[in-house]
Parts: sequence; C-alpha cells; structure tokens
Amino acid sequence: MTEEQPETRRRFPVIPVAVAVAVVLAVVAYVASDGEPDRPERDAVSSEHTEGDGTVEQLEQVRDVSFTGNALPDFVRGTPDAAVGTPAPTISGQSFDGEEVTIGGAGSPQLVFVVAHWCPHCQKEVPVIARWMERGGPPDGVELRAISTAVNPDAPNYPPSEWLDGEGWAVPTIADDARFEAAQALGLSGYPFFVAIRADGSVAARASGELTVEQIEALVALATGAT
Amino acid sequence: MVTFFLASLAVVAQAAVAVAAALGIAGRWSAGARRAGARLRAAVAPDALLLALAVAVVSTTGSLYFSERLHFTPCKLCWYQRIAMYPLVPMLAVAVWRRDAGVRRYAMPLALAGGAISAYHVVVERFPSLESGSCDPNNPCSIIWVERFGYLTIPTMALSAFALIVALLLAVRTESEAS
Repeated sequence: MTEEQPETRRRFPVIPVAVAVAVVLAVVAYVASDGEPDRPERDAVSSEHTEGDGTVEQLEQVRDVSFTGNALPDFVRGTPDAAVGTPAPTISGQSFDGEEVTIGGAGSPQLVFVVAHWCPHCQKEVPVIARWMERGGPPDGVELRAISTAVNPDAPNYPPSEWLDGEGWAVPTIADDARFEAAQALGLSGYPFFVAIRADGSVAARASGELTVEQIEALVALATGAT
Repeated sequence: MVTFFLASLAVVAQAAVAVAAALGIAGRWSAGARRAGARLRAAVAPDALLLALAVAVVSTTGSLYFSERLHFTPCKLCWYQRIAMYPLVPMLAVAVWRRDAGVRRYAMPLALAGGAISAYHVVVERFPSLESGSCDPNNPCSIIWVERFGYLTIPTMALSAFALIVALLLAVRTESEAS
C-alpha cells in the first residue's frame, strides 16, 4: 500500500539570502572604507596651510572679533529695512592667517559679504563674486570685505579657509568668533548676507540670498551714492 | 564604514524596488512578467513583514547614528521623515509577532508620507532655492551632510528605505488573499 505525498515546493530562502547580502555588504564596506572614518576627526578649528614657496602658515577658522557701535536690527526680507541710514558697527577681526581686517566706520564705501562654508547658496555665490572680481569687480575706491561665520567642523565643506582659497577668493575676510558676533552685529538673517556701507559709515542697503552680479553692482552703487 | 554600508544597503533597496516596479508595470501587458511578479510575491510574501521590520530598524538605527554619533544635526524635513519612520519599528514588530497582515493599512500611509517627504528633501538638496533663496542660519534642509557613490545622500537613503517598505507591504498577503 502506498500513500501519495502531496508535492511540496521548496520555498525560496528569503531571510537567509537577505542576511547573506547584508553580511557581504558589511564586509565590502569594511574593506572598501579601509579604516577611513565616516567623519574626519577634526581638532577644533585650526589647520595648517602650505604656501607655494613651502612655508607653512597656521590658519584659524575662528578668531576673536570685537565691534563698536550698535548692532544692526535683524534684517527681514520684503520689509522696509530699519537699518538703512543708521551707522553700521565697526567690526575688528582677523583673517584666517591673522591679518587685521576692519569692517565699517567712516572712510571708503564698503560692500560686505557674510558667508557660511556649509551653506549651498554661499557655495554658489562665492564663485560668482570671485569671477566678478577677476573681471574688475567694484569701481576704484570701493572696498570689499567678507565675514566667514557659523563655522562648524562637523558640517560639509570644512574648513572655510580651504574652500575660499580654492575659489580664488581675494576679499579680505574676517574669521568670525564661535558666537558669530560679527555676523550678528550686522543683523544677519540668512546666508549669504550683504551689507552696503556708505563712506560716512552708514548703512546704504542690506540683502540676503544669492544675488546676481547686476544686483551686487546695484548694492555698490547704493554704497557710493551713484543711484 | 557605517555610511558606506548604509549606502550599499540603499542601493540594494533601490534595485529591489526597481525590479518589483518593473515586473508590476510590465505585468500589465506581458503574461510572462505577470507570472514572474506572482512568483516573486509568493516567495517574498511570507517574510515580507519581517523584512519591512528589518528595513525600518536599520533606517532608524542609521538615522540615530548620523545624528548622535556623527553629530549631523537633523533639519526640519529630517524630523518629518523620522516621525514617519520611527513608529514603523514598533508597529511592524507587533505585526510580525502577531502575524497581522492587516498592519499594512496602518503602516502604508506612514511609509508613503515618509517617502513623499524624502523625495521632496532630495529635490531641495539639488535645488536649494526651492526651500528658500538663502540659508536659514538654523540648519537649512539643503545641506548635504553625506554623499556616497555620487548621488546617495541621507534623504536618498531614506527614500530608498520607504520605497522598499512600501513594496514589501504590497507583497504582504492578508488571510483572504492567501486563501
């Protein structure tokens, strides 16, 4: 007497296959990354830069800043800017390599850029400004200044000194302090941020966001009183 | 290494979803594709809930690794995706334990909403002006913290995970379907 066994199809071993794939990927990830950490270990905010002649300079991404005068009110896009016509604070700081840089005060008209290394809009705007300067930039007598602020070693595109150097950035730039005091003194509300300062030290205009060369030149014209 | 691993898993997830989607679409016109799709579903269905749970667990762990270990600050859209992904872990875990295929009615809206937010986040990363004309000083969503294989960012990985969870939930058979 024979008993008929129902035909049973073997199930595809989904879970073992999934586990095997995960294990293989883990091994591949271990081998391919070759001990490289997911995030480079960064010692605070200093680095070294080797010049073309072989000299090594110490760069600090964050430096002490100070300002005199009153901080400007926060800039709000699309509303009349209460800062226009008021004196801009005079900000004193240092560039990444320690050169003294001053923003504001009576003297020459100034256009100030405030940038953050991790901001995609700044990453697009900096090359626009750099190319504009290569083509001649502002008229004689107008000073360009910049502030590198909101430095975060954990964020992308760090360090800002390397980023700006790679873009051919030739604007005297203050490395803002860890509390972003220089940027806040200008009433920053978003990156990139622009402040046009007249020769008498008063604010001519402020703007935030990506600007075209024409818009930048319009800010320069406001600073010089050409419009 | 962990980021590479998570990115590799995302590529596998994308491949799996692409195969399932291709069979689903081709099955509308081709009997062969329809049969292949049915075989694939039959093979995956018994373990689909467990696999979906595994995807949710890995995604949740990965998101916590990025924020707590690597100190990548989650932005607003990241938080919305977390709100969609994290509850899937206990929800699917209970469903696996109780063998409750009906969970897909509750899990699917979360996975679809999370996937939609991830897709928008991916677009914002590529076109930051969609979010705003300038960067919010308080952590804009357009920052690309991680980019692997030239295109895999954190929201892209999240989108891959949500899409795979949706595909797996679609493969789950309820008791009436199974009979």
